[in-house]
Formats: sequence, C-alpha cells, structure tokens
Amino acid sequence: MLPRLAVLLAALLSLRPGSNAHGTELPSPPSVWFEAEFFHHILHWTPIPNQSESTFYEVELLRYGIEHWRPIPTCRQTLMLSCDLTAVTLDLYHSNGYRARVRAVNSTQHSNWTITNTRFSVDEVTLTVGSVKLEIHNDLILGKIQPPRPKMAPAGVTYESIFSHFREYEIAIRKVPGNFTFTHEKIKHENFSIQTSGEVGEFCIKVKPSIGSRTNKGMWSKEECISLTRQYLTVTNIIILFAFVLLSGALACRLALQLYVQRRRKLPSVLLFTKPSPFILGSQRPYPETQDTIHPLDEEAFLKVSPELRNLDLHGSTDSGFGSNKPSLQTEEPQFLLSDPHPQANRMLASGEPPELGDSCGNDSSNSTDSGICLQERSLSPGTQHTWEQQVGSDSRGQDDSGIGLVQNSEGQAGDTQGGPALGHDSPPETEVPGEEDPAAVAFRGYLRQTRCTEEKATKTGCLEEESPLTDGLGPKFRACLDDEDGWHPPALAKGYLKQDPLEMTLASSGAPIGQWNQPTEEWSLLALSSCGDLGTSDWSFAHNLASLGCLAAPGGLLGSLNSDLVTLPLISSLHSNE
Amino acid sequence: MKFQCVSLWLLGIMLILCFVDSRSLRKCLISTDMHHIEESFQEIKRAIQAKDTFPNVTILSTLETLQSIKPLDVCCVTKNLLAFYVDRVFKDHQEPHPQILRKISSIANSFLYMQKTLRQCQEQRQCHCRQEATNVTRVIHDNYDQLEVRSAAIKSLGELDVFLAWIDKNHEVTSSA
Repeated sequence: MLPRLAVLLAALLSLRPGSNAHGTELPSPPSVWFEAEFFHHILHWTPIPNQSESTFYEVELLRYGIEHWRPIPTCRQTLMLSCDLTAVTLDLYHSNGYRARVRAVNSTQHSNWTITNTRFSVDEVTLTVGSVKLEIHNDLILGKIQPPRPKMAPAGVTYESIFSHFREYEIAIRKVPGNFTFTHEKIKHENFSIQTSGEVGEFCIKVKPSIGSRTNKGMWSKEECISLTRQYLTVTNIIILFAFVLLSGALACRLALQLYVQRRRKLPSVLLFTKPSPFILGSQRPYPETQDTIHPLDEEAFLKVSPELRNLDLHGSTDSGFGSNKPSLQTEEPQFLLSDPHPQANRMLASGEPPELGDSCGNDSSNSTDSGICLQERSLSPGTQHTWEQQVGSDSRGQDDSGIGLVQNSEGQAGDTQGGPALGHDSPPETEVPGEEDPAAVAFRGYLRQTRCTEEKATKTGCLEEESPLTDGLGPKFRACLDDEDGWHPPALAKGYLKQDPLEMTLASSGAPIGQWNQPTEEWSLLALSSCGDLGTSDWSFAHNLASLGCLAAPGGLLGSLNSDLVTLPLISSLHSNE
Repeated sequence: MKFQCVSLWLLGIMLILCFVDSRSLRKCLISTDMHHIEESFQEIKRAIQAKDTFPNVTILSTLETLQSIKPLDVCCVTKNLLAFYVDRVFKDHQEPHPQILRKISSIANSFLYMQKTLRQCQEQRQCHCRQEATNVTRVIHDNYDQLEVRSAAIKSLGELDVFLAWIDKNHEVTSSA
C-alpha cells in the first residue's frame, strides 16, 4: 500500500511544473530577427520573461546549407538584446543567406535555441541613403544622392557594385511649414533637379531608395532643407540692366543733342522778321504775334478826325513813311492790322500826347498801333509832324503798328521810319505831313499809319464803343454810327494803312470822282482811315468808311464834294474784294 | 591559303552563332514578369521558411553550384529546374493556409508559363544538355531525396528566392515596376 502511494507521489511530483535542474528550464527568447541595412546587420531578440541579473544570451550563426552552427564570440554573454553580426556576414550579398539562433543562459541553466524565422539573405536588407546634398541654381534645386558608405564594407564593395542596376529613388518635397508631397515618380539616377517655379522659401526634401528588380524595402532619408531666396543679381538680370542703362544713356544723349540743335535754330531776336514787306522799314512790330491780329477800327478815332483833315494832303502823305513805292505790297500784308496789344501802354502813351494834337489823331498817338491813316489837319503842319513823330516814338511800345507812318514830304523822314527798328510807331513821323507834299508829285510811299483814338474819344460816339464786338471780324464792318460826325465816321474805324497812290493824290486834290478811288482801294489791304481809330482791336471794321474815304480824300473839299455815301460804297466794295 | 581563310571564316561564323545562340536563349524569358514572382514569394517567405527545421541542409546546392554553370548550360539547367519544381515540389507540398496556397499557386502558374516560352525557344534553337548540366540536375534531385518529402518540399519552396535570383542573373530579364 505504502510503496504504491510513494510511487504515486513521486509521479505527481515529477509532473509538477517547475524549474529544471538540468538548465533547460530557462525560457528561450520569444523571437529573433535580423534588422539589416547595407553592411549593418544587427540581430535582435526579445528578452525572456522573468529575466534576472545573471541572465545573458548566446548567439550562433549558420551559413545556410554549408556550415554548422558556430557561436559568435562578440555576442557571448551579453546582456544586450541585440548583437552586430556584420563582421561575420560580410558575404551576405553573394550567398544564400544565414540563419542565427539565440538562447538565454543562466548561471546554472540555459534555454532552448530560438532560430530566426527566415533565412537571412540580401532580400532582407533595408535600403538606405547615405546623404542628400542640395544646391540652388537659377530657380532649380539640384540634388545629389550619396549611397551609403559603411565602414564595415570590404574594400571595393560598394552599394553601386552590389546593386548595379535598377537603382531608383523616390523624392518627397515639402515647403516649410507644409506637409510632404510625394512625387510618386522614381528617379533612376543619383542626380535630380526640382523646379520651384519661382517660389521663395524653405524647402525640405527626403529620399527613399529602392531597387527595381528587387523587393527590398527602402527607408526614408533624413530631410534636407534649403532656403530659396529671390535672386535679383542673376546673370540675365544683370545683362538686362546693363542693356537698359545703355539704351537710356543713348536716348538721353540723343535728346540732349536734339534740344541743343533746336535751340540753335532759334533766330536771334534781332533777326526776327514779322513779314518780309517794305513796310518793315517803317513799321516795327515789337510783337510778332500781332502781325496777324486784326484790330477793329476804332470808330471813335474815325469820328474824331476833323473833316479838315480829309482835305489835307495828308492823304498823300498818308503814305507810310516807308518810302517804298510799292503799292502792291499793301495788299499782301496783314500788317494792316494795327492792334495794340498793350492798350494800357497806349493809354499811358496817349497821355503824353502833345496838346497840339487836339484832335483824335494826336491823342491816339498812344494807340497808334494801327497801320491806318490818321487824318488830322494838324498833322499837316510840320510841328505836328514832329509831335507825331515823338508821340509815335513814345508809342513804340504799345504800337504794334506795322510801321506805317505818315510820310513827310522829305525823304529823310521816310528814311527815318525805315531805319527805325522799333517800327511800331516810327512811321507816323514820316507820314505826318501830307500837306507839305504835293499830292500829285508825291509818289506812293507806303502806308500811312493810323493812330488810335483814346478811350475818351471813343466814348464820344456810341459807335466807337461798338467796336469791340467787331474786333473778331476780319471783314470790313460797317459802323452804323455815321451820325456823330457828318461824314466822318470811317476814319475812326479804319485801321491799317491806307495805301497811298499817286492816283489817289490826284484824285484827292482834283476831287476825282469816286471811280478813281476804286482802283486804289482795291489794292489796299490796309485802310488808313481814322486818325484816332481804336486800332487795338485789329479789326477791319470799315465803319461806313465814310470817314475813311473822307480821310483818304486829300483835300477836304474833295471830300466834301464827294458824297460820303458814294465814297463809302466803292471803298467798301473794294475792301470786300480785298478781303 | 584559301582553305585556311575559309576555315577561319567558318570558325568565326560558328562562334558568332554560338554567341547569338546563348544570347537568344536569354531573350526567351525576357517577357516573364520575374518581379511579380519575387513579390509573391516575399509575402509567404516568412511562413514557409519558418517551417524549415534543417537549416544546415540545402537542396539547390547553394549558389556556388549554380554559379558554376556555364552560359551554354543555362538553357538546359533552367529547363530542368523548372521541371523539378513543377513536377515534384509543388505537388509534394500540402499547404493548409489558403492565403499562402494562393501565392504558391500563382508562382506555380508563372513557372508553367516560363516552361512554355522556353519550349518555344527550344524548338527554334537547340537547347542541348551537356554533361555538366545533367550533373547539376542530378545533384539537386539527390538532395531532395535525402530529406523527407514534406521537409524537402518545404525547404525547396523556401529556396525559391535562390532559384529566382539565379534566373535573373543568367537571363536578360527587364525589371518590371
């Protein structure tokens, strides 16, 4: 009975699970595996449960199909959970593979071996990249991939030599601080370039290698970052800038040259000629602009001309002091327009008129910008002539008269007018003495300038005031006011120069019929009518022109004899035609 | 002189033909997608090789044996090994897991296709088996016979990567993505 119980107890005890005294009770590591990179083969294992301080591990290696297990001395009695087996697996890339096994060893016990599940071969090597170098080149990121260069690799064995074909790399880019964008395209070379298309900022790139003909897994490299800044000093930019500077410099030089040449072209003021006409001698236009301006005749001036003047030989002497016998020229020149661009000046000048010229003519001296004839009796006297001259001279400023002045009998006066550059008023002195000359003998001397009437005179007749609106018109305008003075209206309005023609003189003196007047009038482009017309308006206002006609008539008697209307009409018609 | 020239010319032509011949054999398997087979194997590699309990024994006689095969024998050895796998290994292996079985089946079908293309090349050119090729084939069969059938089949399946690597090396196969 008792022996059976003892046997039974022994059997039960033997069945009890417990540590084995023979050293096989120690549990073996649960798993063993290789983690390998290019020439960096590390064997890993998991620790046994209930590991004590005295537990260490042993590793053995086997070349598949060739050798027996051999222990690895470097991994003997290690407490670590991994071991570097690169040194003993150098020909991994040319062999069928290896198998490794690990067991736990205690002071008294050792566990069973745990073998790696798979045959460790080149297929289990995880591919990595050594380094990636980036550089910027004209908005392009150039990358160069460096394969791994492990120290344990034998001489002459490189990544490229083992994996000679089908090396591929996948690239991922991200712009800080965004996420990575994968290109999903594999680059088949170690050099690559990425187009940034003008973006600026920091870019990070990472690379994953692979082999096209293999199933090896790849590991992403560390990201390499490079910052892209906008380059302004690129070669193209510099070239463009240089070309721009050259072009602008050339343009500037050309412009400067052109300006310089243009300046040179301007004639000196001395050489400025308003019109190439004989009147130039007598008439001076201080303001070229006034050449074309037409000033309306001042009615007042016309009206103020005393009828006596009409009879004067002034007509003959109305010939401008130019001394040029070129009646034909009269028609050509717009210088007839006697406009005073500076009426104020004229006014001032007018104040300087000698009292002798009580008539409008004298007062108009200031305004004698007109080229018309100013018929004044007093002007016939030499004294008045002088006054005329003087006044005219003083009026030079304000007188844009074309330079027709009363021509005296003497040639010398004409010469004066001709010589004077300031011809705005010069002519009058020459034209002042019609009476002295023998109308018949006096040759045509140009235009007789008409002096302007002052404002006061203008106010005398309401007609004169109306002159202003007529300033614009070039055509002869008839003043409606013939009332003021009997028959003496036109002279005030007439502006410009009355061409003096010998025929006229004869007419005037002889009281020729109106028909004779017609001829000269037709030739006239200027009418010297009123002694004191307001010539500033430069308007061809032949108001009635009765006065003008009257002025033209040398002898007052002639005028008186002539029917004012009759005289006016042909003159007007002629003026029209001239227009 | 003429005879020597003619003989030299003939020798040159023969060499060229042999060179072309060996190259032409390589072209037979270019169209095969080896990469697909390799990927299929990697998925089942762990499961199959884990069952191999005899690591110090090899069937395919390691790469040294296969590496020693000359280019002229490549056609014969390839043909023999394909027949070995299709006729013996795939038939002897009993796989319980369906996923692994599917992969093994796809590999087997690819081997059948490779056999067919190789047979067409053989009809055009002569795939003569020399003694060295025959010896290598016999060694492999002997190694397979030394083990138990199930262990041998498992081990042979586990060594598929060796066989595929050897085919890549000896035949011009373009890599497929």
